Amino acid sequence: MVETGNISIFLALIISIYVLIASIYGAKARRRDLVRSAENGALAVCFLLIIATIALLHSLINLDFSLKYVALNTSTDLATIYRITSLWAGQAGSLLLWSLVLSAYTAIVVLQSRNKDRQLMPYVLATLATVSIFFIFVIAFIESPFEKLPFTPKEGRGLNPILQNIYMAIHPITLYIGYVGVTVPFAFGMGALLSGKLGDEWISYSRKWALFSWTFLAIGLLLGARWAYLELGWGGYWAWDPVENAAFMPWLAATAFIHSVMIQEKKGMLKKWNMSLIIITFFLAIFGTFITRSGIISSVHSFAQSDIGPLFLGFIAFILLFSFGMFLYRMKDLETENRFDSILSRESAFIFNNLLFLGAAFAVFLGTIFPILSEAVTGSKILVGSPYFNRVNVPIALVLIFLMGVGPLISWRKASLNNLVKNFLYPILLGILTVIVLLVLGMKDVKAIIAFALCAFVTGTVFTEFFRGTRVRMKRGENVVLAFTRLVSRNKRRYGGYIVHIGVVLIVIGVTASSVFVTEKQLTLNKGESMELRNYSLRFDGLSEYTTDAKNATIANITLFENGREIDIITPERNIYKYEGNREINQETEVALRSTYKDDLYVILSSYNTDGSATIRAMINPMVNWIWTGGLVLLLGAIITIWPSGTKSRQQAFVRYTVKEKDTTIKV
Amino acid sequence: MLKGKLKFIIAIGVIALTVSYLVYGGVKDTMVYYLTVEELMAQVPTVYDTKVRVSGVVVPGTIVKDTDGALEFKITDGSQTIDVAYDGIVPDIFADDVEAVVEGVYAKNDVFEADTLLAKCPTKYESTDSLYEEKESTY
Repeated sequence: MVETGNISIFLALIISIYVLIASIYGAKARRRDLVRSAENGALAVCFLLIIATIALLHSLINLDFSLKYVALNTSTDLATIYRITSLWAGQAGSLLLWSLVLSAYTAIVVLQSRNKDRQLMPYVLATLATVSIFFIFVIAFIESPFEKLPFTPKEGRGLNPILQNIYMAIHPITLYIGYVGVTVPFAFGMGALLSGKLGDEWISYSRKWALFSWTFLAIGLLLGARWAYLELGWGGYWAWDPVENAAFMPWLAATAFIHSVMIQEKKGMLKKWNMSLIIITFFLAIFGTFITRSGIISSVHSFAQSDIGPLFLGFIAFILLFSFGMFLYRMKDLETENRFDSILSRESAFIFNNLLFLGAAFAVFLGTIFPILSEAVTGSKILVGSPYFNRVNVPIALVLIFLMGVGPLISWRKASLNNLVKNFLYPILLGILTVIVLLVLGMKDVKAIIAFALCAFVTGTVFTEFFRGTRVRMKRGENVVLAFTRLVSRNKRRYGGYIVHIGVVLIVIGVTASSVFVTEKQLTLNKGESMELRNYSLRFDGLSEYTTDAKNATIANITLFENGREIDIITPERNIYKYEGNREINQETEVALRSTYKDDLYVILSSYNTDGSATIRAMINPMVNWIWTGGLVLLLGAIITIWPSGTKSRQQAFVRYTVKEKDTTIKV
Repeated sequence: MLKGKLKFIIAIGVIALTVSYLVYGGVKDTMVYYLTVEELMAQVPTVYDTKVRVSGVVVPGTIVKDTDGALEFKITDGSQTIDVAYDGIVPDIFADDVEAVVEGVYAKNDVFEADTLLAKCPTKYESTDSLYEEKESTY
């Protein structure tokens, strides 16, 4: 299997190089047959990388310790599911996965559009091939997953126990699907620049792919947050660690992009801006991979590190120089077709949204590379941590939430007072009402009050839209359910987008509540003693132990009372792993979590003593569940938005939309 | 429509300035020097009571746990060693010989009072040394 894997990777590299040359030469010489063979080559690369991945999976599942990668990432006591997920636990495997996902995307692009846009496509393929060549080169010559050890150890080093968790199993692959997905819209952008076909084709392809990657990045980030929350045992879900930022930055830039492409689609504006944005998004995605993989920025959880840093930097520099070079070369063809008419318009709301997302991405980028930057400039390493990121991003986020309410309802071109009053009166009243209620309830944190009020405002605008749309349909004789489902299914992009916004609102509510209103307490208790935490009371009923093949666990038995009434028994654990290999971790805390939509009770067994007493740390994190629910709503909205629809219904929706716009402008 | 364009430029300028101000203020107020134990000791009189982040390897056998969960240990860079006091969440991987990162204040009594404790996996994570050791022991 090892030889099969190696040979597949080398063949994939050679064919990728062929794909690059054949597609460019074929496009230049107008040789359709060459382009066609390049396309087939791309399919072959995908096939070969599938074989290589299967070969590695086979070695992982059968614990072939003669392979360095297998010996370092698995062990005999590892369950099969985690032997499979070790595919992305280490450096070489992750990079193989990167290449595999990219080749699969390339194959999909080829199959979807091999007979369309014949001038654009060869260059798109060439760009994808270039990125593939880089990654396949790395796994072929520098970080080979099939590298042999000079001997066969009896036991592998095993997978870190904190990675043996279902969220950790799916979180990296979800993120990779998103990261790698950013390559495709970038390739369409580059294809447009290289071919000079700067019309609407690249935008319409790019938009769909960008939405797809955006969704996976968002879900990947949330899964990572959930993993950190359940497994790391510090009571939080986000720490502005470089590795988290690495995925957050391309997500921010992609968010800007999926909004501003709408302006280009509808108005033919912002062409240069969109092109720059997709280049920046791709840069940030590659940079993110680089941060995670090279270990250049010290992070507590970059699990795989190596010396591929300089190579990555070279590749990043090449991408930036080449793409912005092409951009400057084609700049004159990217002139806008429309002008901005008024600052009170949907166009400008989108512009501000973009500037703020990019500003946030810049701030996160600067904070992430600050240690390197300061060391280069001043000679001493200076860090900026969570306080910096929160201080900068919270105000930006608040304005963005405001714009999220404004953008969908304000009219195009120029909003009249009439339009503003008609659309925003009730949502604004809802926001004000929220402020009053929160003040009456005794809330004092200004930022939290603003955040909640803005969330109410956004919810108000979204419901206004749903309500109006449904009512219009009901007037035509449809019943509520039919009117509502048709409204959404015939305008998937628009209403799917609104549902995504509601998901974001839920996440914002959860994040605000759980970061502002945490209650925390740590006490050492003897058997029978209790600790009080707001309206909860935790009675410590003593320690007990159990043993499995892999670990010795010590449990604190705690009876939980809410307002004096017994509601549950919770059991935080401390595990000591028996494994005698060379893992870094042999201890692990297992959090006891009782989660409701009101709050999470998060209990950790910090330590226990020989006299039977235990140190218990307990936290009340309000409304954390809203974040995960928000994630599901966001996913639902994204699926609705992306869901393919017949061309006919889309046409219909678009026409209606234009008519409606005319209506409002005529009234003015 | 020069007036309209001007409004835009002003609005964009305001956003750019605000973001820059937030970044500048954020960096200025929250930045923390990242030092090795040696660098910390070199700055001893001036470094007292300023917030810094220090990394070093936990000296084996120096971890002392109080009954209420508070922690004392020593970290070293090979040549110099400092005492650290910490009360808070202890990462699972924190143990003897692990590289610890502490953030806090070096107090006048020469104890580093940490309010954050992070532990890093050894940097040579993908090293095969351990496998060799194992091989030797099995022979």
